[in-house]
Amino acid sequence: MSAQHLKTASGASRSLARSRPRYGEFAVKTILLMAAMVSIATTVGIVAALLEPTIEFFGEVSLGEFFGSTTWGPLFNPPSFGVWPVIVATVEITLIAIIVAVPLGLAAAIYLSEYATPRVRKTFKPVLEVLAGVPTVVFGFFALTFVTPVLQDVFPFLELEAKNALSAGLLVGVMIIPIVASLSEDSMAAVPNGLREGSYALGASKMLTSVRVVVPAAFSGIVAAIILAISRAAGETMIVAIAGGFKSVFTLYPGDEMATMAAFIAQAGSGDASVGSIAYKTIFAVGSLLFIMTFAMNYVSARLVQKYREVYD
Amino acid sequence: MTDPRNLTPTTTGTAQIGLSVPNVTVRGPEVPRNIEALDPVFTVSGLSVFYGDYEAVRGVDMTIGNREITAMIGPSGCGKSTVLRCFNRMNDLIPGARAAGKILYHDEDLYGDHVDPIEVRRRIGMVFQKPNPFPKSIYDNIAYGPRVNGVKGKMDDIVEEALTKAALWDEVKDKIKQNALSLSGGQQQRLCIARAIAVKPDVILMDEPCSALDPIATTKIEDLMQELSRDYTIVIVTHNMQQAARVSDRTAFFTAEVDSAGVRHGRLVEFDETSRIFTNPSDKRTEDYITGRFG
Repeated sequence: MSAQHLKTASGASRSLARSRPRYGEFAVKTILLMAAMVSIATTVGIVAALLEPTIEFFGEVSLGEFFGSTTWGPLFNPPSFGVWPVIVATVEITLIAIIVAVPLGLAAAIYLSEYATPRVRKTFKPVLEVLAGVPTVVFGFFALTFVTPVLQDVFPFLELEAKNALSAGLLVGVMIIPIVASLSEDSMAAVPNGLREGSYALGASKMLTSVRVVVPAAFSGIVAAIILAISRAAGETMIVAIAGGFKSVFTLYPGDEMATMAAFIAQAGSGDASVGSIAYKTIFAVGSLLFIMTFAMNYVSARLVQKYREVYD
Repeated sequence: MTDPRNLTPTTTGTAQIGLSVPNVTVRGPEVPRNIEALDPVFTVSGLSVFYGDYEAVRGVDMTIGNREITAMIGPSGCGKSTVLRCFNRMNDLIPGARAAGKILYHDEDLYGDHVDPIEVRRRIGMVFQKPNPFPKSIYDNIAYGPRVNGVKGKMDDIVEEALTKAALWDEVKDKIKQNALSLSGGQQQRLCIARAIAVKPDVILMDEPCSALDPIATTKIEDLMQELSRDYTIVIVTHNMQQAARVSDRTAFFTAEVDSAGVRHGRLVEFDETSRIFTNPSDKRTEDYITGRFG
């Protein structure tokens, strides 16, 4: 192949064409592509699996009944399909969780990134991340057997039920603190030190520098952390199933027992709903709704981040 | 006092290549001269700076004159930036950093127990090597300092005044709400100077402010320094000897020395009027450095 080139040109000349095929390169590229495809294929597979039973469900139950009623009892006889109670429970518990996790998580992130010495940061951050590794069933029982009784003793006027949205929401919040803290800390640590120095050199305190320079500069990363935390909270199952209960009465009061969408899916899916029955199809309809809700939220927040982020470099 | 700025006129447009320094040094008879500034803003005596146990700079004595431009030159690692960062206590932010000796700022001990570093930095502003505007609008960049310092008054006027003084107003007045990072490097650096001016400091420290800029932007910053030295005391660290010769009234030459224990320390070799340093230095090491035989 290269003989002709070797002859023709003068001096140190060889063809610039590839001297031998590189099969290894091709193989590696293919393997990497396939690894990337797995997660995409899984997502597509989930959507496909949700779609068919969901369409069948809406063949039997009208959209008007699904979204127009507040009585939820697909597993009862006769069944009722007003989805609002589980939506309200999901939103309410997620809201409580976010109210707990965002201030605490952000405060922890600011402390770790701006105030802690490198040594403290090196010990503290892994400890915080261990919290993310605690099985959620542990949080669930902690909420049920410790937090709820304590709250009942200390605040008897709240009239908490044995299972309630408040305790479940609080512990879901604790569960997602590490997500908020760790990811926010990562994006704050990535803010160039020159920005901090610029702020200090103008006579700004550490607190002002953190709040007015570092946090805005890390804003897109912080929002991404919060979004991920919300998605995890909305989909959290074990804590809400154990501490929040399964009762689907329409209520806004967080002291009451209420079932979230995820709790309903767990309950119905672990029960004896036979394949093809309306109860079985309801699982998929609720699953689709949860999927759409999280997807829409991710999309909206991605747009918000695009609009408001402060880009450096 | 002679003004070296008149001796070496500022070049415009292109960078001046080569040294405007005679290679032969003629040592004249010792004449009394003005080594120490008459009206000092800073009086440094026996300053040593430590990072942990390591003594980065040893035994610096110098004065910084009021409304003068003082240049600090020397090879890399000679501690000139370290000394500069003592003047507004920026070194406090580095864990393990510590200064020994004395720096008087208008007769007040800069490292005294009662001194608040935040108050120090408000009076003594700083411009950095790499332009570091905040990722905010041009307006908010300037307004940041006055806001965090609780300055009352019409912010629009403060912003316009600072940008005008930094010779940037005409270029940015129509896009004041745009992100500061949309500006060119030279404009960003002038924005950082404007940002420092906006808090009405007494002194402006500049740590190699032109090293990331092209020659035209450098010329603009140098002209601006001349302009600002009417109202402000300026201390500039620079790698560029011609820059020191062009802009400064006094020059401090630092170098790194290895002591008997084999440890490197930054030392101040010579501190004098700029014209003297560049035409008739009294130390051989200064002469070698400015004539390009070393560093």
